[in-house]
Amino acid sequence: MTAIPDEIARTIIDPFAYADGDRVDEAFTWLRREAPLAQARIDGFDPFWVVTRHADIKEVERQNDLFHNGDRSTVLTTIEGDRMVREMMGGSPHLVRALVQMDAPDHIPYRRLTQGAFLPQNLRRLEGRIREIARGFIDRMAAQGGTCDFARDVAFLYPLHVVMELIGVPESDEPRMLKLTQELFGSADPDLSRTGGRPVSDREGVDSIQSVVMDFMTYFNAMTEDRRANPREDLASLIANGTVNGQPLGHLEAMSYYIIAATAGHDTTSSTTAGALWALAERPDQYARLQADPSLIGGLIEESIRWVTPVKHFMRTATEDAELAGQKIAKGDWMMLSYPSGNRDEAVFDDPFEFRIDRSPNRHIAFGYGAHVCLGQHLARLEMRILWEELLQRVASIELDGEPKRMAAAFVCGPKSVPVRFKLH
Amino acid sequence: MSAPYVTWQCRTCGYIYDEAAGDPAEGLAPGTRWSDLPDDWICPLCGTAKADFDMVEL
Repeated sequence: MTAIPDEIARTIIDPFAYADGDRVDEAFTWLRREAPLAQARIDGFDPFWVVTRHADIKEVERQNDLFHNGDRSTVLTTIEGDRMVREMMGGSPHLVRALVQMDAPDHIPYRRLTQGAFLPQNLRRLEGRIREIARGFIDRMAAQGGTCDFARDVAFLYPLHVVMELIGVPESDEPRMLKLTQELFGSADPDLSRTGGRPVSDREGVDSIQSVVMDFMTYFNAMTEDRRANPREDLASLIANGTVNGQPLGHLEAMSYYIIAATAGHDTTSSTTAGALWALAERPDQYARLQADPSLIGGLIEESIRWVTPVKHFMRTATEDAELAGQKIAKGDWMMLSYPSGNRDEAVFDDPFEFRIDRSPNRHIAFGYGAHVCLGQHLARLEMRILWEELLQRVASIELDGEPKRMAAAFVCGPKSVPVRFKLH
Repeated sequence: MSAPYVTWQCRTCGYIYDEAAGDPAEGLAPGTRWSDLPDDWICPLCGTAKADFDMVEL
């Protein structure tokens, strides 16, 4: 059995390697070439396989009976962190139980509860309102007099506003939702975490994430009560009053449904949008092509999603002995699906480290694959299409005005600051 | 006169296969009929089997 060299293994779990970008790209490039499916054995962690190739990630994701989501933590965690979560949660390895943590038979009925709301044909009726929101943010950007931090001033706020309206969260609570999201995903980032990013013990780390989850639950518990008494046309009413197999949702499952919508529902689109603008600010020729031919926006969106790949990994657990890419996987083995690696796989993408709005085909796996593929992918694409249609009409040119920065996180992250100078038409 | 084009949707991820548009990125030319896709064809976005698509009116 091949073990990954310690330095490489430590790099791919280091939040600051993801903030750096190049460091993690180099580690995954090495792995795809030398050890595309191998085990990481790092002090303090249970051993886990690192799945780096596009084809192998798809192979794991499509076999939902053989590779479960919920048997162990769906996010890489230390042995001590896992022990503490299980202690808190009555033996479960999860602090929440959302679609991500579910397998058959629960996953499909829970997914179907909201799936209709996220289908392209049902999202179309939202297009007018989303365009109005997008125009509002471009107006605010334009009013800033030629410079802004695109991540903080537009990219974080626009998908947040769209998703919070869909859920039914009032605008006055959006800053709170953004802060909680950033504390959850940015728990290792000095600028974003609740602990100030200082090195913390496993206990403090788990306690910090647990306290963010509890804040979300307190908020959404009140919302559930409200929507049971006064149902509206929003996602919160669907979750509060919905049934699965004839029964109301369990409390943990309902709270988890809200939390995933209120976090992953906007943060990933924000990261992708900020990362796209960063890439375009460095490539004025591609920005000019988009202005001349807006039909390229679809290609820009797919390439942005591939380029940023905001979800860095999910874990799966083998339910039986299996063989994958010539390696023997044992029942109970933990597998890290490395989406940024799959989306830079030289076997699938020509010049994977180049940003090309006309890349075709562009079958990235940033939304995952198989039964757990991202529920909100069509909403994400719609939001981005509308924003780019509006922005390209108003903003004539754009360039960086300082050094962009990425958030430090090994699970979900993207740019946290993209300072730009721009000229309007 | 040939039958009008129809659209099919993946039950898992919502991907839409529109016969009129085809899916050139997947090598399916505009006008390719659903019935002409092989039985082992899978959803390009999520890998769901062809049998798990529904015909939809958009």
